[in-house]
Amino acid sequence: MTATPTPAPKAEVVTPLPRPSSRLERFVRRQGWVVGVALLLGVLVLWRSSQIPAFGAFEVRGIVAGTMTLALLAMAQTVIVISGGIDLSVGAMMVLTNCIAARLMLEQDLGPVVLVAVLVVVVAMLLSGLIGTVAVVSGVPDIVVTLAASFILAGLALIVLDGPGGGTHPRFQELLVGGFDEPLPATLWLAGIFLVVWVPFKRSRLGIATYAVGSDRAAAFLSGLNVGRTRIAAYVLGGFFSGLAGLVTTAFTGSGEPRASIGATATLTSVAAVVLGGVALLGGSGTLLGPMLAAFCLALIPALMLGLGWDPNYAEVARGVIIIVVVMIGGLLQIPRRAR
Amino acid sequence: MSTAVADPAIRDWRQLLVDRPAVALTGVLLLLYVITGLFAPGMFTPNGVRSTLLLACPLAILAASQTLCMLTGGIDLSTVMTANFAAYVAANQSGQGPVVALGLALCVGLAVGLVNGIGVGVFKVNPLIMTLGMASVLLGVVTVGLVGDGFLSGSTRLLPVLRTVASGTLFGPVPNNVVVWALVGAGLIFGLSRTGLGRAIYAVGDNPIACRLAGVRIWQVLLAVYVLSALLASLGGLLFSGISGSVGPDQTNAYLLPSVAAAVIGGTSILGGVGGYTGTILGALILTVLNRLLLTLDTTEAFRQILYGLIVLALAWVYVRLTGQRGS
Repeated sequence: MTATPTPAPKAEVVTPLPRPSSRLERFVRRQGWVVGVALLLGVLVLWRSSQIPAFGAFEVRGIVAGTMTLALLAMAQTVIVISGGIDLSVGAMMVLTNCIAARLMLEQDLGPVVLVAVLVVVVAMLLSGLIGTVAVVSGVPDIVVTLAASFILAGLALIVLDGPGGGTHPRFQELLVGGFDEPLPATLWLAGIFLVVWVPFKRSRLGIATYAVGSDRAAAFLSGLNVGRTRIAAYVLGGFFSGLAGLVTTAFTGSGEPRASIGATATLTSVAAVVLGGVALLGGSGTLLGPMLAAFCLALIPALMLGLGWDPNYAEVARGVIIIVVVMIGGLLQIPRRAR
Repeated sequence: MSTAVADPAIRDWRQLLVDRPAVALTGVLLLLYVITGLFAPGMFTPNGVRSTLLLACPLAILAASQTLCMLTGGIDLSTVMTANFAAYVAANQSGQGPVVALGLALCVGLAVGLVNGIGVGVFKVNPLIMTLGMASVLLGVVTVGLVGDGFLSGSTRLLPVLRTVASGTLFGPVPNNVVVWALVGAGLIFGLSRTGLGRAIYAVGDNPIACRLAGVRIWQVLLAVYVLSALLASLGGLLFSGISGSVGPDQTNAYLLPSVAAAVIGGTSILGGVGGYTGTILGALILTVLNRLLLTLDTTEAFRQILYGLIVLALAWVYVRLTGQRGS
């Protein structure tokens, strides 16, 4: 300031204090994208229901149970992306757990089947944790490590089951994905996993650390966080979700299928769901709900096209165009923020 | 890194690897070649050399597009679908003569590259997502074109010139497609090290913010990179269809991950700014010989996949360890 002692009215020209943002503004900034995806999903579901004369429990069950795998894989990808990584092996992990489960559950009673289910999820968590450990210890970028891991997991799946086969207990199928007109089990499982696993995780010390590490690794390290351990923990949680995805596949199809291309497609769709769900691929932001809803949006597109009487092959084109357009809009929205 | 405490001999060796990664990679390649030759003596005949070069060529061309994108810190997951589509278009239009057919096939690459480049460069879409969406669109277009009497149906007649270029023999162990490969390689190696665009590609990958402040028009560089990448992809697809003697909606898909792996093994960082095409050439040759070795060992498909993944991982790990080029 200059020597003038009087508080000059010029001071008003100086940048005003930032106005505290209102609750609504904060909500829009943090959750706006998720609300948008939810609205999109609502529109798609309404549209779909108008296409079918009797839109009832049967159709809802079909949509929820059929998309559960993809939703779980999107959740697995989200956790790892939030921690600042990316996992191109989630699909292969799903295929592997599907094969292990189908092979071990064949012609067993319900008790052993449930035991196998638990075991399979634990195996997925351990393997995913191992992949994360390799990425952290080696310093090779996550994308390369998980790319290589996807080959290894697909190979293991072929060793477990050399062709389509295996089986499971019908009661286990009903428990996990419900009978043909019961949408409740699948919905409850998804909601339950979200509330029991994700919500406490996000609020825990580890969850906050995951966001911090994903946002800025160096700053997180300087704040005293164990960056490596946090990243590995994110991979373990991701493995939990992809293991569940494998179990759901087993329950939904009643068998195991070791084809590697299924895993590759599922991985790519999970990345698409993460982006559509408003999770930045740079890490450190986003929630689990967005990708979950986005997975349902992506899965509804082929059904809608079929309902319109279009060639279902156009669904692939439409999916690609939607992904591109949505991320372009997202990019446009971010340009003013970057220029500031 | 631990270079400071290593004894001088090891430090020199590491320094050599950092300065001249091609030397070490050539060593790995020769070692692998000899090991493979022990199991398959045919590898030491001119014909063995020829088949290795023949098969490595499309991979190396697809890996070239991956190298360019990775140098800017991106990746192109639409390469293989662009390659498939271009090969289809060339086969479909083969009745129009080679110039029109090849021109249209390259136009596919141009169009795909322009859209990718505009998305990544202008709209700042993450390259992974942009090219993933593009791959999805292309897969749909090819599938729709093949159904019933779509615009691609009945395209099975390959251009004779493709067959000659892709699988003919120039002399001794040198197949014709190596000429194309050599031209592409020379162009890329010269272009990346000696031209303004080439240096800008490294600069953008190394530090985009500094580039912007220095006045580089980043979107133009990215547009050029993705257009080049898609053009190379169509070229790779054309060569592959010439070797296989057919076209298919997913015939080069198995090359997607190896094309990334070839660039990574060759020392190009997926984070951008480091690497070059020389390493990628060696990476593509190493992967081709490795594939041959795994086939020769008469292993099951499952075991081959596992070993392939482990070796790619191990090579990337060793590389990062020795050069200290860690991912942040």
